[in-house]
Amino acid sequence: MGLILALAAANGVTRLGSRFAILGAGQRVEADLRDQLYAALQTFPPELFARHSTGDLMTRASSDVSAVRSLVGFGVVSLFSTTLAFGGALAAMLAVDPWLTACAMAAMPVLVLLARRFNVSLNERTQAMQEQLGTLSGRVQETLAGMAAVRAYTMERRAAAAFAEANRTLLERSVAVAAIQARFTPLMSLIAGAGVLVVIWVGGLDVAAGRITLGDLVAFNGYLAYLAWPTVALGLTLSVVRRGLTSMERIQEIVTAARPAPAEAAPLAAPPSLAFEDLTWGYPGRSAALSGVTFSVAPGGMVAVVGPTGAGKTTLGLLLARLWEPPPGTVFVGGRDVTTLPLATLRATVGWVPQEAFLFSRSIEDNVTLGRAGLDVAAAAREAAVDAEVAAFSGGYATIVGERGLTVSGGQRQRLALARALAGRPRILVLDDVFASVDTVTEDAIVRTLRASGLTILVATHRLRVAQAADRIVVLDGGRLVASGDHPSLLAAGGLYARLWRRQQLEEQIARA
Amino acid sequence: MPERGSLDHDEVLGRAFDRRLARRLWAAARAQRPLLYGTLALFPAIALAELAQPYLMKVAIDDHILAGDWLGLSVTAAAYAGTLGVLYALRSLEGYLMALVGQRVTHDLREALFGHLLRLEAGFYDRNPVGRLMTRVLNDVEAVSEAFTSGLLAIAADVITLAGVVAVMLWMDWRLALVTFAIVPLLAAVAAYFRIRARDAYREARRRLATLNAFLQESLQGVTVVQLFARERHEHAIFRRLNDDYRRALFNSTVFEASLYSSVEALGAVALALLIWYGGGQIGAGALTFGALVAFIQYTNRFFLPIRDLGAKYTVMQSAMASAERIFGLLDREPTIVAPEARSVVPEPRSSVPAIEFQSVWFAYDGDAYVLRDCTFRVAAGEHVGLVGATGEGKSTCARLLIRAYDVTRGRVLVDGVDVRDWDLERLRRRVGTVFQDTVLFTGTVADNVTLGAPVEPDALGHALEAARARDFVDALPRRRDEPLGERGANLSHGQRQLLAIARALVYNPAILVLDEATSSVDPESEWRIREAMQRLLTGRTSITIAHRLSTVQHADRILVLHRGRVHEEGTHAALVRGGGLYARLWELGLAAPDGTGSNAAPAR
Ligand SMILES: Nc1ncnc2c1ncn2[C@@H]1O[C@H](COP(=O)(O)OP(=O)(O)OP(=O)(O)O)[C@@H](O)[C@H]1O
Ligand SMILES: Nc1ncnc2c1ncn2[C@@H]1O[C@H](COP(=O)(O)OP(=O)(O)OP(=O)(O)O)[C@@H](O)[C@H]1O
Ligand SMILES: [Mg+2]
Ligand SMILES: [Mg+2]
Repeated sequence: MGLILALAAANGVTRLGSRFAILGAGQRVEADLRDQLYAALQTFPPELFARHSTGDLMTRASSDVSAVRSLVGFGVVSLFSTTLAFGGALAAMLAVDPWLTACAMAAMPVLVLLARRFNVSLNERTQAMQEQLGTLSGRVQETLAGMAAVRAYTMERRAAAAFAEANRTLLERSVAVAAIQARFTPLMSLIAGAGVLVVIWVGGLDVAAGRITLGDLVAFNGYLAYLAWPTVALGLTLSVVRRGLTSMERIQEIVTAARPAPAEAAPLAAPPSLAFEDLTWGYPGRSAALSGVTFSVAPGGMVAVVGPTGAGKTTLGLLLARLWEPPPGTVFVGGRDVTTLPLATLRATVGWVPQEAFLFSRSIEDNVTLGRAGLDVAAAAREAAVDAEVAAFSGGYATIVGERGLTVSGGQRQRLALARALAGRPRILVLDDVFASVDTVTEDAIVRTLRASGLTILVATHRLRVAQAADRIVVLDGGRLVASGDHPSLLAAGGLYARLWRRQQLEEQIARA
Repeated sequence: MPERGSLDHDEVLGRAFDRRLARRLWAAARAQRPLLYGTLALFPAIALAELAQPYLMKVAIDDHILAGDWLGLSVTAAAYAGTLGVLYALRSLEGYLMALVGQRVTHDLREALFGHLLRLEAGFYDRNPVGRLMTRVLNDVEAVSEAFTSGLLAIAADVITLAGVVAVMLWMDWRLALVTFAIVPLLAAVAAYFRIRARDAYREARRRLATLNAFLQESLQGVTVVQLFARERHEHAIFRRLNDDYRRALFNSTVFEASLYSSVEALGAVALALLIWYGGGQIGAGALTFGALVAFIQYTNRFFLPIRDLGAKYTVMQSAMASAERIFGLLDREPTIVAPEARSVVPEPRSSVPAIEFQSVWFAYDGDAYVLRDCTFRVAAGEHVGLVGATGEGKSTCARLLIRAYDVTRGRVLVDGVDVRDWDLERLRRRVGTVFQDTVLFTGTVADNVTLGAPVEPDALGHALEAARARDFVDALPRRRDEPLGERGANLSHGQRQLLAIARALVYNPAILVLDEATSSVDPESEWRIREAMQRLLTGRTSITIAHRLSTVQHADRILVLHRGRVHEEGTHAALVRGGGLYARLWELGLAAPDGTGSNAAPAR
């Protein structure tokens, strides 16, 4: 009796240990995959983000990753134990009676065939379901992130209807997966049961005929019973494995697209000049956004890019920072082709302030430093002329801003983004229309500071008075450089720039009248 | 200035199993009750068929094989085959119905949650990251639906089978049965011990998951920034920490399940050993048949199976409860901005009443950090007013108050002479159309984004695009109006997005139009053309234009200058310039080149 208990305890401990090991392993795999996925996403170029919506990627990082956890945790263990059970029980059964074993296993080939057919259709339906889940998350994500517009345009009902439709489709697809599983899973116990049936009948007759003993038959049945549970579980296992593999594919699709993440690096030591040489480039599937653009900025100089909406001003900056890859030999920083520069060096050299400022829902300080050590946040904020406002927030630099920075005003957001770029002490500053939400007084202060700083500046702007402060103005129209020169010479040349300028003059005159 | 503190954290939650919560869950599944009952009805039949199998085995051994009765054996085998067929049919049906119930509960809860989120006010979204809300709608809902399938229904099935097994075992041989059951009190003690430790682990896991998802979602949105500043490794380190926290919490929450599972398996083996030891003796003494012992062993296995899985079910129920708490917590969060039901009025716009009126409005987003202080102004019906002021002065805030995205702290905002709090919300927002400073575009075609899904004549769409100066670039897109836009309009230039937002407002066709920096990223020429077109379209309508570029507002009938939370100056452009106040100073500055090199721009002087 004591021995039994001792054995049971030992059994329990080993089982517990192995179960923890298995669970732990599954969860570790899940965490690792999520980690890899994240690392990959961090290095994604924009064209890949255009292909996968946020909702889609979120689904991969949650639902698909958990499916793989089940594959590793439950699936692998179950496959392993099934194989072991099959091997062991089969050997024992063969030892008792080969003929009976053959009879009992007769149904197995059917099982294999069915399993294969089932696997194919389950795979398809699971894919469809996961995709729809991605679509649904996308809907939810976009609607919630765009609530300001939803509210203002009373779109609630339509948003709800669109959601309901996606939700219904998801329901249909999930039920389609369930329907196939419902047909297949019990089939396994049917087949296991069929084995028992054969043994009772064929084996029973054999015992009656005296070919084998009753003891053998009972033992045989016992071994067969060992097979019953793994066979039944096989159905579940297969669907878990299938789902896990499908999900693994979806995760791999992302992970394999990763690029190496740049390490931190010092800015380029060469004088920070900037040049575009015969740059022609277009977004995939669109006509060229830039055609034959050539101009340069001397170290410490300031060039303004002006031109109508959609002229390609932002595209210039994107190529310069290599967010999109420019053709080799077209974009130069400090005299070196950017495509040959290490990404980290390039990005430490060029500080780019995007047209649409993005803040994280963290403290203002964290938003400016982005975790970079040893930065002078206050000085950067001062240069960006946002220090007074930050000081007035009750939390100061520790104030946490809402998602996307929606709890600070538009102009504050833009200047915080500017401070973020300045804090890293880049040598070249690219400002993409950053004065759009800033009043003239503030704009003035910032331009003065920046001009005095000695940075090489490329500024895209719709405000001609900012352009006027530049050494040279480059006029883009439809992706082509149509004129360049300083303010007086462009006025004298009488092109697009002069027309824009005169328009402004005209308005001023009307206003003064 | 507003104190924004930290974002709302997920509340610390109540007790582990909450009867009130269970009742609400049950109520949430109301629509699925016929299905639930239908599924429940299958269980006794399934249990019966399952329990018959070992018994048939006993009969086959004791009555036929030992007696050499092959005809009887064939009949019994046929009966066994019958149970197999019946079981297959019933199990398929059961599996399908269970999945159906689960998926429908998921579907219904998602719909309810999403519908509720649409009703919540702007202030709520200021504090709750989208990623966290998504976790509720997607993951938490799934956990709850599992409470029905893998939890409730599975437990019911187990209880029925268990009762059957116990009954059959007692009936066949009560002494042998008691030997098996002797192990049960030990099991109960083990379960009780682990349960106490399992308590908060589940909630912790859900909370960590929400935080993780929120971070991930935000990272996806801000990825460009991270790449530009080469902060990939830094962000990755933060993510790794959150990810690890979640993994650890998840592991802790499964300790209970794993421990119980293993304990039951070990104890089950003890029971089996006892049974064979004791049963063997009985057979020797002739008190038990061989077939009965075989059947008994099988019954014992069926007895422990559900008990072994109990831990898993407890986990499911617990994590469902944790999720249900979070879901109902959200559903219970009533929107604070709702239209008064009885009093909501539909005012007739009259020219004698100002279209817009701010009466001593005080407003703070948070606490007493007032953005607007005693702000008072009127806009007459049909008047076009410009609103200017330094950045962060509260211009956008005024626009938000006008459509009642937030409620004023003190004072009143009137539209067509009626307090916005007395308006029906939808009618108010149909009356006042706003183009916000932050352009919001959705995935979908250009046309969808402009019409927002409302049925609109192609002509009207064309006119709106034309007036917004968007027609040229839209026609140059590969698929023109059917060109699919990326998330937030990612495949358009910034100015182009703004033009679409303007076209959208024109299609929306409100009586009062508010343009908040609507053309800030548009070139001066297009802006001028848009204004011309607007002037035609806006005759007879009321408008407020917010802008930093003074040329945008200088043609307005009247200009309001916001300063220190109130209207500091007002008048026509000419009058304000002559008045020599704040506006005049801004205007003079606008004429000078910003580096102070003097002005080339005042030939009219
Ligand atoms: N991700 C993209 N995919 C495809 N086309 C794009 C993408 N981004 C921009 N474009 C297109 O490329 C052209 C140039 O865009 P860009 O953003 O460079 O203009 P811009 O001069 O910055 O305009 P704005 O003054 O409005 O900011 C536009 O016609 C735009 O529609
Ligand atoms: N959702 C919010 N929660 C808390 N504070 C906010 C929120 N939105 C704006 N604020 C604060 O209220 C003040 C006024 O903001 P508002 O957006 O109205 O300014 P604005 O005049 O439109 O400025 P800008 O010209 O820069 O757009 C700012 O200090 C801002 O930080
Ligand atoms: Mg741009
Ligand atoms: Mg604003």
